[in-house]
Amino acid sequence: MHRVTWLSLASFVVPVLLAAQQPTAPHDSVRGAIRAVDTRARTLEVTTGVGLALRVVRLQVPAAVPITDQKGAQSAPINLTALKPGDVIRVSFGSRPTGFVAYTIERLGRMEAGVP
Amino acid sequence: MTRYWIAAAAICGAAACRQPKLGDTLPGLTTAQRAQFDSGLVIFDSTFTPQVGLGPLFNASGCGECHEDPVTGGGGDEVEHHAAVFHPERAGAMCDELADKGGPVFQDSLTPALHAALGIDREPRPPDATVVAERSTPDVFGFGLLDAVPDSVILSYADPNDTNHDGISGRPNRFFDGRLGRFGRKALVPALREFNDGAFSAEIGITNPSVPVEGTVGPDSLPAGTDPASDPEIGARALVLTDAFVRLLAPPAPLKQSREAQHGRDVFAQVGCTGCHIPTLTTGDNPIAALRHKTVAAYTDLLLHDMGAELGAGDICFGLATASEFRTEPLMGLRFATRFMHNGRATTPQQAVEMHAGEGARARDLFAALPAADRAALLAFLKTL
Repeated sequence: MHRVTWLSLASFVVPVLLAAQQPTAPHDSVRGAIRAVDTRARTLEVTTGVGLALRVVRLQVPAAVPITDQKGAQSAPINLTALKPGDVIRVSFGSRPTGFVAYTIERLGRMEAGVP
Repeated sequence: MTRYWIAAAAICGAAACRQPKLGDTLPGLTTAQRAQFDSGLVIFDSTFTPQVGLGPLFNASGCGECHEDPVTGGGGDEVEHHAAVFHPERAGAMCDELADKGGPVFQDSLTPALHAALGIDREPRPPDATVVAERSTPDVFGFGLLDAVPDSVILSYADPNDTNHDGISGRPNRFFDGRLGRFGRKALVPALREFNDGAFSAEIGITNPSVPVEGTVGPDSLPAGTDPASDPEIGARALVLTDAFVRLLAPPAPLKQSREAQHGRDVFAQVGCTGCHIPTLTTGDNPIAALRHKTVAAYTDLLLHDMGAELGAGDICFGLATASEFRTEPLMGLRFATRFMHNGRATTPQQAVEMHAGEGARARDLFAALPAADRAALLAFLKTL
């Protein structure tokens, strides 16, 4: 009886503990052009959308978020200060009570130069 | 240039053999593709109500409400409104499409529930908008063929620095993810499917798997209780079928040209119209055989051209396009149009020619200086498209 009870309890508790230890899974990802960067507040605004249904995604960028510059197959780490309006980026992000929070940011190129 | 006319003549020759009815499919569809087209037509022609998702903000209650003349998929006399803010001082982000304030499409109609909640009759235009521009309703005939033209073909016509010194410097627009744009009056949208999916949201207020969330009213969220339909308001299958209808809709076959029109075709080239209105484009490889390696008498390069300060004064920036830059309008099906230019302000092709400025000024001036018979011939040629 005790064994069954512990197994039942474990079946509830273990997934919760495991989930708590794992990083939050990406909620979504977006590819778009940077509209604004605030390096002091560590926020980004990205314009994206489908057809003429355009949206702006506002993101907080915690200091630990990896930001990389993609050049072909090469990837190099960069700082938030290196990101500029007109950069095309791909961001994975999640939702928090305070808004969207970036998990990873990849700079893919410049909008005017084209990105395949 | 000769190759263009040979290709155009081949199209006209084929048209003489088989004149598809306006609104018919591209030739050579499979039975399954034809069935998708027919089902898509039903959705395109549907009228949506608030109970099934219309609005709360919208420009029309269905695709066919505007794209209707002379048949479903054609043009319309409706004019809608787009707004943006131009910031020339902001390198890399000179255009603010007001996407966080309800833009760039500001809807002119709303449901009774939203009207009751807010007491407004249309979506409010942000006070900081540089300009509110008008957009007429184009036909969508042959858009599947335009979608199937490889990027490399379009880019081969780009000459942003006018290195050949012909006064024409087409350049590409880009979507926000960096892909080449081609649809819309400013060539912002890269792909037909995206244009169609986005239009359900921006024009009809119908959420769908590609745009699963309703837009805002200006910068504000919708008031509670104003959107009774659950999201998404149509499913993936409806998007596929609607796209199939638009994609497989044939361009109007050019008419057999009279001797005068043939002369007008030559004059069209001589005065330089073909510098931007490239007579034919050729599609690339495509999963749909009816779109694969086809030549289409599109009369466009799908690039942006500066059309001068006067047209630019009343228009918006969009992506990389400045206010005065517009995509070369395709001329296929021109004979069915009743309004011309991006805002529908021209009521005849001649007025449209006369409104050209900037990169089109030289061709406009040469047209104006032509003997009357040559001008008439050019206009007769346009009536065959």
